[in-house]
Amino acid sequence: MSEIGIYKELKANRHLYLLALPGVLFLLVFAYLPMIGHFVSFKRFRPSDGLWGSEWVGLDNFAFFFGSDDWLRVTMNTLFINSLFIVFTLGIALVLAIFINELRHALYKRLAQSAIFLPYFVSWLVVSFMTYAVFNTSDGVLNKLLTSLGREGYNWYGNADLWPYILTILFVWKMSGYVTIIFFSAITAISGEYYESATLDGASRFQQILHITLPLLRPTLVVLLLLQIGRIFYGDFGMIYGIIGDNPILIPTTDVIDTYSFRALRQLGNFSMAGSVVLYQAIMGLITIVLFNWLARRIDRDSSLF
Amino acid sequence: MAFSDRLFSGTVYVVIGLFVLFCGIPFWMVVSNSVASESSLQTIGYQLLPTDLSLYAYEYLFRGKQLWSSYGVTVAVTVIGTVLALFLTSTLAYVMAHRKAKYGSLLSFMTYFTMIFGSGMVGFYMLVAIWLGLKDTLWAMILPYLLNPFFAFILVAFYRTIPYEVNEAAKIDGANEISTFFRIIWPMTVPALATITLFYALQYWNDWYLAIMFVDDYKLHPLQIMIRQLIANMNMQSYLQGGTVSFDKPLPVKGVQLATVCLTIGPIIFLYPFVQKYFVQGLTIGAVKG
Repeated sequence: MSEIGIYKELKANRHLYLLALPGVLFLLVFAYLPMIGHFVSFKRFRPSDGLWGSEWVGLDNFAFFFGSDDWLRVTMNTLFINSLFIVFTLGIALVLAIFINELRHALYKRLAQSAIFLPYFVSWLVVSFMTYAVFNTSDGVLNKLLTSLGREGYNWYGNADLWPYILTILFVWKMSGYVTIIFFSAITAISGEYYESATLDGASRFQQILHITLPLLRPTLVVLLLLQIGRIFYGDFGMIYGIIGDNPILIPTTDVIDTYSFRALRQLGNFSMAGSVVLYQAIMGLITIVLFNWLARRIDRDSSLF
Repeated sequence: MAFSDRLFSGTVYVVIGLFVLFCGIPFWMVVSNSVASESSLQTIGYQLLPTDLSLYAYEYLFRGKQLWSSYGVTVAVTVIGTVLALFLTSTLAYVMAHRKAKYGSLLSFMTYFTMIFGSGMVGFYMLVAIWLGLKDTLWAMILPYLLNPFFAFILVAFYRTIPYEVNEAAKIDGANEISTFFRIIWPMTVPALATITLFYALQYWNDWYLAIMFVDDYKLHPLQIMIRQLIANMNMQSYLQGGTVSFDKPLPVKGVQLATVCLTIGPIIFLYPFVQKYFVQGLTIGAVKG
């Protein structure tokens, strides 16, 4: 469209665009302006010199990050922990949604949904507090239980290898309700006629789930899977930093890209190193989401996100 | 019913029952043990049914300054943030969904792109802390969350279901798009707006990322950061009291942690039965298209 065309359109619908103006300004300032910050990864940033005044160093910051052992460790941690989250949350939520749909007592059904969804509503810091109450060595619930059974308490916060799995349990606790609701609403949208005719043909409840419910849930599953795989390079900062904090013993297995760059930025004050990590993450994230969207479109046209 | 069906149905009830306990017991433990006495918490530990009860931890919190200031911060951030976010998100989403706006799809793309390519923590930190100079202000905990693309697209899906005749009728009556939006479209979309409002309110209430990034001043600590501070256990006494009150009994360390957690999740649990359906509705709309 020519310049005059743009002007005409803006003028003709000026009230509409005026309505959108606050939102557009917000996006420009809070989402697009900070993208300039990516330049910091090509500089040796000093706050006194400002972003433009700092010295250009080309790819030095990236060379430093990729030259250290850190990049492989935080990347692998991010991918591994997120994979555990995706597989277990989707898997468990799928089973829960199907099972809740099998409950015949309306009240029990409602209560079960409410209880499973409830943990979604508390913050990760509250979860962090509960986690500490359960796992701490001196008087955690778990160790009290062990000692009351005549066993010795275990130093949970001293074994880094356990924590990706403990984090997965916590993630399932907090988030599976959310996904269960999504699956459950997809199940209730399935027409009852399928089940009626299957029952007439003598199919058991279990066979009906296997041959009716599961296949019809596939599109929902694919969309959820894609949404989450698209964000697989983004660690859940609020969760992991809330629960692990700066515990040096647990960092080797739980430090993800987000907590790593946060530490570089807020504790070391190294803007340029943090910046190169963040840009690496943003580019990998972009590639992943475009790739998986393309894949989804090839598998199933209706499943793609854009 | 066939035996296999009965066996299956039994399994279903047991599995769901166990998962409900798994989700619910932590809440019960926190609430019930927050009224246990400090001595029983220290010697016996957490109990399913505490016997030695005491409200001293709550009294201690209520007589100090920090709880009140943290509550004030969290409520202010939640209320101001939610109102502004609702305004910003609904107006932008309306234009994105409007069939007359030729640049609606451009706006959609602008919004969508921020979901797939982030500005990153560093640029974001520079913007808020250095360029806008919002360190240690309430605004640092409010402004960055005013527009969540996901919620905007939920609203777009909703606005698309409104027949266009509504706009045409309003136009004939001489209303411009702005007054049409606020006088006619808003009342029609109250259920969707309620959903978005609650999602935003929950996000603001539970957030601590912005506070840990931009707020060092303990007078501006929201409740979530107060919990974090209490877990870290440093200078708890002067932190909680604000240096004015003195107690003859020692600080109930564990009780105070539990009570703060209860006071933080209390409003959510209290409102949960009334608002749950709006969240479910939001997820259902969201699930229809990504």
